[in-house]
Amino acid sequence: MEISNLEAIPGKTTVRHLGLVQGSTVRAKHAGRDILAGLKNIVGGELKAYTELLAESRDEATARMLAQAKAVGANAVVNVRFSTSNITAGAAEVMAYGTAVVVQ
Amino acid sequence: MEFLIQVGFFVALLAIGLVFGRIAEQRHFRELAQAERQLARILVFNERTPPPDEYRRTRLVTGSVVIAEDYFKRIAASLASLVGGRLGVYESLMDRGRREAIVRMKRDAQAIGATMVFNVRFETASLSEDHRRQALFSAEFLAYGTALVPASAIPTRPAMSESRLEARG
Amino acid sequence: MSYENPPVPHEVNVSRESPLAQFLRLCAGIGLCIVIGSALLWVAGGWLARRIPYATEQAMVGSHVFGFDLLDAGAGGAPDATHARIEAYLAELASRLVARMDLPEGMVPTVHLADSDTPNAFATLGGHVIVTQGLYRRMPSENALALVLAHELGHLRARDPISAIGGGASIALLIAVLAGDGHALLPQLARLVTLGYSRAVERRADEAALAAVVSLYGHARGTDAVFRVLADHRAGPGQGPTLFSTHPADAARIARMRAAAAAAAGDAELTSLKIDADAD
Repeated sequence: MEISNLEAIPGKTTVRHLGLVQGSTVRAKHAGRDILAGLKNIVGGELKAYTELLAESRDEATARMLAQAKAVGANAVVNVRFSTSNITAGAAEVMAYGTAVVVQ
Repeated sequence: MEFLIQVGFFVALLAIGLVFGRIAEQRHFRELAQAERQLARILVFNERTPPPDEYRRTRLVTGSVVIAEDYFKRIAASLASLVGGRLGVYESLMDRGRREAIVRMKRDAQAIGATMVFNVRFETASLSEDHRRQALFSAEFLAYGTALVPASAIPTRPAMSESRLEARG
Repeated sequence: MSYENPPVPHEVNVSRESPLAQFLRLCAGIGLCIVIGSALLWVAGGWLARRIPYATEQAMVGSHVFGFDLLDAGAGGAPDATHARIEAYLAELASRLVARMDLPEGMVPTVHLADSDTPNAFATLGGHVIVTQGLYRRMPSENALALVLAHELGHLRARDPISAIGGGASIALLIAVLAGDGHALLPQLARLVTLGYSRAVERRADEAALAAVVSLYGHARGTDAVFRVLADHRAGPGQGPTLFSTHPADAARIARMRAAAAAAAGDAELTSLKIDADAD
């Protein structure tokens, strides 16, 4: 399964356009991470725990999007977009969407 | 005694949220499935390049919905936030919101006789900025894209909005 | 090139687990953490409180007898004169036991007689021991009464009342920190001394009591009568503190007492009570 945020997979011809597929997940950071991040806020810098959390969420959202694409018989997803929105102070939604296509 | 009343009130709210929230959610999912079947002939893509031929008009179409959590979701989510991980109660909420937005966008497209929507984008905006969690969480889901009306389709009603992009020859 | 929209499986975006099941599992997990945390705090607070010098405890408590107000008033107590005489007798018996019990330095227990008719006795903060008239009246011999007193003195010696308060206070502190308001809990704290102790703590008090009674009378005969009396008159809930209340089913404790009593020679002499509660 190929993923791209281009309009098409370079060097290949899109033969079927199978429509919108999307994957999303909502994850909460746990209280322990929150406290550590609170401490880190004093000095600034990267919040590793949060970076990891959101990266994991993005992986899962992508995997879910690919699951949809696979179910409709696609072999690639093009024009992929990511979006992240905060839900509450401690939780965020990560979403990935794109168009499922069959390429040759 | 007062404490017991408070606990009872809390449990009652929780039960009401659980039962009614769940019923509403199941019904919404059924309605979504039905609407998606009805609108299946409106095709949606998020690619930017439309098929080259036969399309006479394009128009920006949108669909949006604001959905709020129920009391049970709120409590379950704040408990789950203590340990972290997936918040299943919100995942279903987000899925409902996004599918509803697409359905409404498709209805918008259908109303002008379009058969396809290209370059679909999503936006999500949380409406509850109250971080102390006094208010229930609610969010707006927006889906928008460019609807393509084939030349063969005669527009059945006047333009629904002024957000006309460009009329192609 | 074809354009189509086959139906997509939307369910992949929603976790399959039932929200209610997840919620209940979380509640159970968090509840368990709270219980374990409280238990740890209780033990730590109790351990620290035992290290408070007795003089400090007394200075904090003053002459207030915690838990006294939880006893029922008890109609028809003995007349004042008899009441005073029984109290003096209890004090004298306690002082004989204290001499054999090696209490912490400076600890001089005070024994109070309460009017309640429910058989009951407990030790509380500041070296106070409370015995009800109901208990005194039902004791068949001085030996049995001495066991009860010695048991409560054993609690004082081990600093059990202040330990219970210390454990409770540390939990109240946690709740105050978490909830921002521990006020409502403070009155409940005084109750803790009277709620009863763990098996191990009760057993330690029993052993101290048995040793003191054997040392005083030379035998343990007559002490098992205490359990017969209490079994007949088990105080119901909400009637304040109860003697031996935590583990009524702790058969091992009772059996050990009986064995100690039975080990005494059959002809070992019982001392009778010196004051008749019903006498005028």
